[in-house]
Amino acid sequence: MRPSDKTKIKQRRLAHVGLIVLSFSLMFLGKADLVSLRDGRMGSNDFLAPVIDFVSVPIRGIQTMAEGIRTVASLRAENVRLKAENDLLKRWRRRAEILESENQQLRSVTGAVSYENRKPITARAVTAPGGSFAHTVLISIGSEKGIVQGNPVITSDGLVGIVIDVGRAYARVLMISDINARIPVILSSSSWPGLTIGKNSEFLELAFLPAEAKPAIGELVLTSGHGGVLPAGLAVGRVERVEDDRIWVRPAVDFRHLGYVSVLIGGIEGIDNSNLSLGDFFTPLPVEDDTRLLEGLNASGTRQ
Amino acid sequence: MRDQRSYFEKAEFQSDLPLQFLVLTVGVILVLVEVGLAQWPFFYSASPILSLIFMYFMMIYHDHLMPIITVFIMGLVADLLLSDILGGRATAFMLLSFVMRLSAVRLQQSEFLDLWVYFSVSCGAVVLFQLIVFSLINLAVPALNPLLFQVGFTLILFPIGFVVMFSTKRLLEAIRLIG
Repeated sequence: MRPSDKTKIKQRRLAHVGLIVLSFSLMFLGKADLVSLRDGRMGSNDFLAPVIDFVSVPIRGIQTMAEGIRTVASLRAENVRLKAENDLLKRWRRRAEILESENQQLRSVTGAVSYENRKPITARAVTAPGGSFAHTVLISIGSEKGIVQGNPVITSDGLVGIVIDVGRAYARVLMISDINARIPVILSSSSWPGLTIGKNSEFLELAFLPAEAKPAIGELVLTSGHGGVLPAGLAVGRVERVEDDRIWVRPAVDFRHLGYVSVLIGGIEGIDNSNLSLGDFFTPLPVEDDTRLLEGLNASGTRQ
Repeated sequence: MRDQRSYFEKAEFQSDLPLQFLVLTVGVILVLVEVGLAQWPFFYSASPILSLIFMYFMMIYHDHLMPIITVFIMGLVADLLLSDILGGRATAFMLLSFVMRLSAVRLQQSEFLDLWVYFSVSCGAVVLFQLIVFSLINLAVPALNPLLFQVGFTLILFPIGFVVMFSTKRLLEAIRLIG
C-alpha cells in the first residue's frame, strides 16, 4: 500500500466520523429550534420546492389520469347523486338564509362583535406528508403575499393547520394531525371545551374534556378561538369513537386529497407582535427625590 | 526532510468525480420522487424509501461512486423536504453505509434472496433508528401502521428496483464497450 493511499483512507474515515457527528448534532440543534437553522431550512425549501413541483408533474399527471378514468366510469351514478345533493343543498340554503337573518337580528340586540376582517388567499399544496414522523405540507405562498407565522390554513371542509415557517415564496403548514399540534376546540352541541391532539395518524385525540361532557358519535368539533391564534367556529372534525378513556375525532378535511388551501391573513387573531412595545403597557413612576423606598401604585391606580 | 514520494506516484487520470456527481444527482432526484409520490392518496404519509434501494445497490456494486458525503446529502434533503427530524435519516443512512462497506464483498457474492433479506434488515434498521430518535426527542410514539406500510412497500419494490438498476448497469457497460 502506498503512503498516499494510507492518507486517503485515514482522511475518508475522518470524514465519515465527522459527518456522522455533524448529522447527530443536527438532530439536537433542529429540536432546539434555532432561528438561523429555521431560516436555513426555509431557504432550502424555497430552493427545492420548485424542483419538487417539476418532478411531481408526471406523478400528478398519472393521478389525474386515474381519477379521470374512474370519473368517466361512474358518470351516470355521479349525476344522479349530484342531483339529489343539489336538492338537499337548496333546502339547506333557504334554511341558512333564515338563520343568518335571525343571527344578525340577535347580534344587533346583544351588541356582539363578529370578526370578519380576515382575508383568504388561495395556495397550492406542493407536497404531502411522505413519512410517519411529521405531518406538514409546503404551500406555494410565502412572505411575498403577506403570510406570517400563525396564520390559519383551511379548505371548504374545515381546518387544515397553522403556518409554522415562512419563506419568500413558500410556507410550511403544521397539520392538525401532527403529533405537535394542539387545537383548542369546543363540542358543537354542548359547547364543552377541550383540546385535539394530533397522533400522526388519521385520527385526532380529543383530550381535557370536563368529566360531565358526553360527546356523541358524529358530533361536530369546532375551534373555540381560545388562545387567540385561530378564529372560533372552524370545523376541526367529527367524533368518531368513544372509548373508556379516549375520544377519537376524524378530521373534517380529507388530507389525502389536499390540492388547494386558503390561508387566512389579517384579523384580530394571529400572532402579531409587531406593535408590541413595552411603553404601551408600562408607565414608570415619576422620579422624586423625597420618595420612600416601598412607594408605588395600588390596584386601583392611586399612589400609596 | 519532507517525504516527496507521493508527488511522483501515478497520477489519477480517471477521476470518479463526474460519476460521483451523477450518482448524487440521481440519488437526490429519487428523494424528490419519494416526496412527490406522497401526493398519491395511496402513499399518504407512507411513501416508499426509493433512495434506500438505490443506496443499497450502489454500496454493494459501486461503493467508490457513492462517497459518504453523497449519503449525507441524500439523507439531509429527505429530512428537509419531509420535515422529519433534521439529520435523522442522514445519520441512519450513514451508519448503514458504514456497516455495508464492511460487508460489501460478502454481499457481492450472495444470491438475490440473501440480498433481499439483508435489505429487509437494513430497511427495518433505518426506520427503527428514526423511530427511536423521534420517540426520544418528542417523548411520543407516532402511529406505527404507516411505518409498517412504508417498510412493507419498500420491500415489495426492492426486486423491481434491483432489476431496473441491474439492467441500467448492464446497458451502461455495453455502451462503454461499444465506445
